[in-house]
Amino acid sequence: MITCDLLVIGGGPAGISAAVAAGKAGLKVLLLEERERLGGQLTKQTHRFFGSVAERAGTRGIAIIKDLETVVAQLENVEISLSTTALGIYEDGVSTALKSGKMIKIKPKAIVVATGAFEKFLPFENNDLPGVYGAGAVQTLMNIYGVLPARRILMIGSGNIGLIVSYQLVQAGAEVVGVIEASPKIGGYLVHASKIRRLGIPIYPSCTIKKAFGQDRVVGAELVRLDEKWKEIPGSQFTVDCDAICLAVGLNPLIDLLGQSGCQFKYIPELGGQVPIRDESMRTNVPHLYIAGDLSSIEEATAALLEGELAGLSAAKQIRPGQSLEARMEEVKTHLRALRSGPVGEKIRSGLSKLTGEALPTPSPRTNAIDELSRTGIASPANLAGVLPDEKRKKTRAYAVIECYQQIPCDPCVHNCPFGAIKPFSDINDLPIVDFDLCTGCGQCIGRCPGLAIFTVDETRDGDRAKITLPYEFLPKPVREETVDLLDRSGKCVGQGVVKSVLNTPKQDKTTIVTVEIHRNLVQDVRQIRVVQKS
Amino acid sequence: MNDDKTIVCRCEDIDIETIRKLIDQGVTSLEEIKRITRCGMGPCQGKTCGPVIAREIAMKTGQPMEEILSPRSRPPFGGVLFQEVLEGIDDEE
Ligand SMILES: Cc1cc2nc3c(=O)[nH]c(=O)nc-3n(C[C@H](O)[C@H](O)[C@H](O)COP(=O)(O)OP(=O)(O)OC[C@H]3O[C@@H](n4cnc5c(N)ncnc54)[C@H](O)[C@@H]3O)c2cc1C
Repeated sequence: MITCDLLVIGGGPAGISAAVAAGKAGLKVLLLEERERLGGQLTKQTHRFFGSVAERAGTRGIAIIKDLETVVAQLENVEISLSTTALGIYEDGVSTALKSGKMIKIKPKAIVVATGAFEKFLPFENNDLPGVYGAGAVQTLMNIYGVLPARRILMIGSGNIGLIVSYQLVQAGAEVVGVIEASPKIGGYLVHASKIRRLGIPIYPSCTIKKAFGQDRVVGAELVRLDEKWKEIPGSQFTVDCDAICLAVGLNPLIDLLGQSGCQFKYIPELGGQVPIRDESMRTNVPHLYIAGDLSSIEEATAALLEGELAGLSAAKQIRPGQSLEARMEEVKTHLRALRSGPVGEKIRSGLSKLTGEALPTPSPRTNAIDELSRTGIASPANLAGVLPDEKRKKTRAYAVIECYQQIPCDPCVHNCPFGAIKPFSDINDLPIVDFDLCTGCGQCIGRCPGLAIFTVDETRDGDRAKITLPYEFLPKPVREETVDLLDRSGKCVGQGVVKSVLNTPKQDKTTIVTVEIHRNLVQDVRQIRVVQKS
Repeated sequence: MNDDKTIVCRCEDIDIETIRKLIDQGVTSLEEIKRITRCGMGPCQGKTCGPVIAREIAMKTGQPMEEILSPRSRPPFGGVLFQEVLEGIDDEE
């Protein structure tokens, strides 16, 4: 029998964070991870994470995990056991796990369960044909094993996962024929939607899949439009050709282990379905049993890291009383509340209020300024007008255009302007506002925005030439003096321009910053370039 | 929709038509459907089909999802060989 103070099950961001917090508080910790490496979902995330800079947002998921691995490795009292699957949590406090062909037994004083989530499935005709994938499988093949799962992919679901995996598929050289969404609005963050729209990927709201075509593999799909009541509109079917269908229709918390332990659950769709009941310190109804991360509610890595820390501290407080951990616990709770305080946190807030029985929080004030954007992923002229400087300022110096119109909990931009020209946030859900008196148009912020929503425009010169600087994350990289295609917000080619500079040092970390000379009339239309393939 | 080509349980290859017929016959709990069809008894242990079947039951009977989805599960999580259990016992004494 192995003994320890704290057993942490699951080595994703939540579990690692719990192990680190408890380890720093002096607990002897054993961290179990089923896979051969730590990281959970982060091991597949090649994009820059949105979220809070304090929780490492702005860097790529794969980089965040390297960082966390280093931190946890430095703690001598935290033992990490990889390729180890937790099998059971028994009433007498003993847990079992499978490691190297042996079922081992562990008797900890407390347990943090952070097993994450699993993907939802969708019933439609022929949904067992080869070529029907979950988004997680697509990411594993593509980003871990370097295998392209298909050439022409239809994405089902426009949440952040559907949008981000679509983007990654294009980076890997595949074509995404469209993203369909049953709801009338795009589910994920609009910056991610805009990012794929300007690559020419259509998004179909109010649309679902009826069937996959094919004999022994997927060759296409039949789609159908939905009305406001989510009923199929007769005669509105249409078909697409594709060789894979990728399901990104949401996640359910992975509660199996908790179900064994006497933990109580509540069905709260806003949090991902059947979720464990827990208090604000991440403690369940079972003594000495804590939870964190996607298992507690489907959210983001920033929340998972904070909840993990909270669970680790709660366990430490219980096992080793007398340490002053409360101050930090309160800080983490405040940070979590702030993270969930904006319009996109409304779902989570309402879910949490069902969990705790608290009165429903007051809804955030609604604006319809982004209604059109949330159907199309394309900013309207009115959206744009709100973020541009006046005509006089446009002529004096280059300037940044931040096309971030939706309040999301994300703050890397504010921390990456050397001139302090992006006004400090009072709330992580604030919209970035550029102080054009301070902005020099230097472009330092461009590569740090996880939404790739920042551009700089230089229209100071006389004549019809102007310059746009934008982020570029595809191969091949353009070279100086090369002529490239100019794409607008919908991916339509609106002209050609000449590349004037390509910034691609380790500091950019593969988000190449490209400056292109274009016609002055196009500066507010061009938001993407395409390298013209030489045949 | 061709219900017999719409798969609900990938592990045991059960289609939605089978499930709907059972519900219409009055078999309206996950446990009973599992015992009749083997839905949920494959490698994924009902993680894929459970929520889908629960929704079917909810739509047809009006029962709340919370009552349909039983969170109770028994160890072990996933499959374990007897040999693996025995190897662990050897370690103890
Ligand atoms: C495509 C995509 C893009 C995303 N982008 C962002 C983003 O930009 N910003 C952001 O903040 N968040 C993002 N997220 C969300 C973020 O990745 C998750 O919220 C976060 O990883 C949840 O952390 P977790 O530790 O709770 O779970 P996971 O990361 O899922 O980790 C759970 C771990 O537990 C292990 N485990 C499960 N069962 C057992 C067992 N029985 N025994 C041992 N180990 C077990 C698993 O192997 C896994 O490693 C994204 C997610 C996806 C899929």
